This record gives sequence, C-alpha cells and structure tokens, in this order.
Amino acid sequence: MSATDPPPIISMRGVSKSFGANVVYQGMDIDVYRGETLTILGGSGTGKSVALKLMIGLLRAEEGSVQVNGEEVSEMGAESLRKLRQDLSMVFQGGALFDSMSVLENVGYALTEHTQMSDAEILDRAEECLEMVGLGLSENPDILEKFPANLSGGMRKRVALARSIAIKPAVILYDEPTTGLDPPNCDRISMMIRHLQEQLSVTSVVVTHDIDTAFHVSDRMAMLHEHRFPWVARTEDFRQIRDEVVRDFIVRRTR
Amino acid sequence: MTGLLRRIGGSLNDFFRWSGGLFILFLRAVWVAPQRPIGVSDLSHQTLTVGIRSMPMATLMSLFVGMILVWQFGEALADFGAKQSLGYASSLALVRELIPALLAVTVGSKMATGMTAELGSMKVTEQIDAIASLGADPVKKLVWPRFFAATLAMPLLVAWGNIMALLGGMFISDAVFDVPAGYFYETYIDELIPIHYISGIVKATVFGAIAGIIGCYQGFMTKFGTEAVGLATTETVVAVSIAVVIADFALTTLFLPI
Ligand SMILES: Nc1ncnc2c1ncn2[C@@H]1O[C@H](COP(=O)(O)OP(=O)(O)OP(=O)(O)O)[C@@H](O)[C@H]1O
Ligand SMILES: [Mg+2]
Repeated sequence: MSATDPPPIISMRGVSKSFGANVVYQGMDIDVYRGETLTILGGSGTGKSVALKLMIGLLRAEEGSVQVNGEEVSEMGAESLRKLRQDLSMVFQGGALFDSMSVLENVGYALTEHTQMSDAEILDRAEECLEMVGLGLSENPDILEKFPANLSGGMRKRVALARSIAIKPAVILYDEPTTGLDPPNCDRISMMIRHLQEQLSVTSVVVTHDIDTAFHVSDRMAMLHEHRFPWVARTEDFRQIRDEVVRDFIVRRTR
Repeated sequence: MTGLLRRIGGSLNDFFRWSGGLFILFLRAVWVAPQRPIGVSDLSHQTLTVGIRSMPMATLMSLFVGMILVWQFGEALADFGAKQSLGYASSLALVRELIPALLAVTVGSKMATGMTAELGSMKVTEQIDAIASLGADPVKKLVWPRFFAATLAMPLLVAWGNIMALLGGMFISDAVFDVPAGYFYETYIDELIPIHYISGIVKATVFGAIAGIIGCYQGFMTKFGTEAVGLATTETVVAVSIAVVIADFALTTLFLPI
C-alpha cells in the first residue's frame, strides 16, 4: 500500500499477545482498509480468532497498538466500547447464539440494545436479515420462535450471521462463516459478504479455512505464520506467492 | 521444604487473586445496578426462578431440622424433668443459627452451582463475549440480576424455613414429649426478641449475597471446554460452604454480645 492511501479503519502495530506461556502474537502488524474484504488464513490454533477479538476489544494486547478509526481500543472506556461495537460486529466461530432466547430475540438483540426501534420494526429487520442468510420465512415459517437448541448446526451459524448484520455495522468480523455449511449455503454466504460490500460498502475481515470462499470474497489476503502476518497481498498477487508455507496451505486446501 | 513453602505461597497467591477478583466483580455488579435500563423483568425473573426452585429443598430441610433438633433437646431436657421448657430451649438455636446457616450451605450452594453451570456454559460457548460484542454489559445483564436474586431470595427462604422448623418442632413436641403444640409455640415465640430475628435475616442476606457472587464469578472464570464447567461447579460448592461458615462466625461474634 502506498502513502497516498486513506488511513486504515483498523490498524494493528507491534501487537503482542500471549496466554500464560502460550505466545499467540509477537510484534504483529496488520491493517484493514475501509470498504475492503480482507481474509485471514492460518493453521488451527494459531490465533485467527484472537486477532478478531483484539480488534473488537474483547481481548487486550499486552504490547503494541490496536486502533479502530484512529482510536486506541485498549484505552476505551465502557461507553466508547459500546459505540465501537455499534459499528463493528463479530460473527463468532461457534455462533454463540443465546440459548435462552428465541431466534427473533437473538437476531434483534443489538437492535434492542442500541436503537429505539419498535418491536414491529425489529421484526421486519430480523426477517430481512434471515432472508439474506437463506432462512427466509417462506421456507422456514416458524424460524422466529425457535430456540437455538432446536436448530441444525448450519442454521445456527446462519442465524448468528443474521444477528451480526442486523444493526447494519460498518465493519463485520467473520470467524469462519462458512465452516460446516453445505456448498449452496457456502456460496450464498460468500455472495452475501460480497453483496454487503458492494451495496453498503461494508468492510469485512473474514477468517476462513475454505480457500474457495477466500478467493471468492477477498480483495486482500493475509496468512498468519509464527505469530505474525508475513504475507499480506492483494488476492491476485497472493495466488502467485511461491513460498512453500503459503503454497502448501493453498494447494492442500484446494486439492 | 522450600518446595512445600513455594506450594503454600502459590496457593495463598491464588487465594488472594481469587478473592480480589470476586470483590471486584461485586463492586462492578453494584456499580452497574442503577444504570439504565434497570431491567426489572430480568430481576424479577431471576428472583422468582431462584426462589421458587429452592422452595422444596428449603421446606424439607427446615422441617426436618426443626423436628430433629427438638427431639434431641427434648431427650436431654426430659432427663432433668424440664421438658416443659422445650420451646425456650430450641428457638434460639434454630432462629439465630441453624436455619440461616443450614439453608445457606444447602440451598445457597444449589443456587450458586446453578449460576456457575449456566454462566460457565455461556462463557465456554462465547455467549458472554457475544453479549459484550453486541453492545451490552455482561455484568449488568447476567451478574447483577443473579446477585440481586440470591440476596433477596435467601432471607425470604429463611423466613419461610423458620415457619417450617417451628411446625416441625410443634409436631415432635406434641407427639413425642406430650408437650402441647400450642404451649410449645407460645414458649418458642416468647423466647425470641427482635434482635434474634434481625440477626437471622442479616445472616441470610449476607449468605445469599455470598452465594450469588461466588456462583457468578466462578461462571465467568470458567476456562475452556465443557469439563471446565464441571470443575468450576465443584469448586463453587466448596467455596460457598467455606465462605458461609467464615461469614457466619464473623456475624455471630458481631451479634452475640448484643
Ligand atoms: N481466552 C483464552 N484464554 C486462553 N487461551 C486462549 C484464549 N483464546 C485463545 N487462546 C489460545 O490462543 C491460541 C489461538 O487461539 P485461536 O482461537 O485464536 O485459534 P484459531 O486460529 O482461531 O484456531 P481455529 O482455526 O481452530 O479456530 C490457542 O492456543 C488457544 O488455546
Ligand atoms: Mg478460531
């Protein structure tokens, strides 16, 4: 990226994070630019989910800086964090749906927290979001009243996606949004990520193991290796990287 | 020898860290309590569930403890031909001490483990992170209503337990010792002055608060994996029992001189 580019919306500089003796990041840098889709690749347990949680302030770095819109996340108080999370939403790897709430309450959660929308408006928005993830009311008439325990794994994943897009955030962090979905639904989710980017210029950070989805949705790709992101490149350039580690990762997944 | 010392040092360190964390969570829960929205429905829902779920156990425990204690005292008093003072003898121990402490250890542990298990599995499945990431405060949403519920429900359950214990005592006194139930009732109540009720209720409130905050803290501190939930829950039982006994001792030294 050249010096004339606009400043990044998310910027991590020299970030170190460990859990006890388990070092996850050391001197890690990465930037996310407004309106782009950045995909993060990396082996299991290397820290991809941790990167997203650092961005949204659920975890704090021991060293370095994590900035969103030029503001240091670790210095934010409760109120600024709340505001931040109105703009920045996260889809958790396991869905993290609220077991004690219906699908409607789950999808409408951020709306009840952040907005003054009426129940009817929330209902409309929930239906719209469920439609976007392929859980439209025409095929799933009783979906709104269901509880997470009564949904299939793939449905739970998609309800979680609907919950994260409901508030119309400017940035969405997706933690493995397509893992465990059937091919048509994988495609639908990648299309949705593209669609949100094109229509609403949503910025996305996508963590995935699924190389096809990665190539389909990303503008840039980053690969996590040894506590850093040594390779960050535009998608077409990323394909050309000759390094063994990257090749292995791409080829093994597509074979 | 140094190994042993280091182990003791390590455990002490863990203990202080744990108590510190517990206290901070308590402060945060009280701090967020008055913030809007108040969450009346969360509060009443938690209080009702915690209270109603504990009713059968509280009833059974109190009834039987009342019967057992009166029977034991009755045997002892009968040897001195003093069984007419059965009501006087048993009321203090039950109202001031046994019912609050016993219900705190049993019903309180049950409440606390329920909270640990629920919040622990929410923690493990990232639901607590999800609440935070959707813009709400997990302490306000989860900890405060549960802490409130336990603190309010425990004295109510103890009050109920006192009635049950009294009924149990009346039954035994009449059926086993031929001391009429009505007479037992009168002497029982006659022995009690307001400070005895107050000390019982204060104790119950403190025990309820202890159970609530430990239950929530243990849930929030649950590590990875479903087996972690089991571990946290077991620790909760131990922690609540020990904390209740220590608090009971402290409160007894406070109230007895009065
Ligand atoms: N809250 C936490 N407490 C302690 N250790 C953690 C925590 N979160 C993550 N870790 C550790 O950090 C490392 C990275 O975890 P992370 O979940 O980010 O991996 P990941 O790259 O997302 O893996 P996967 O592809 O399997 O989801 C792991 O070793 C994990 O055990
Ligand atoms: Mg992960």
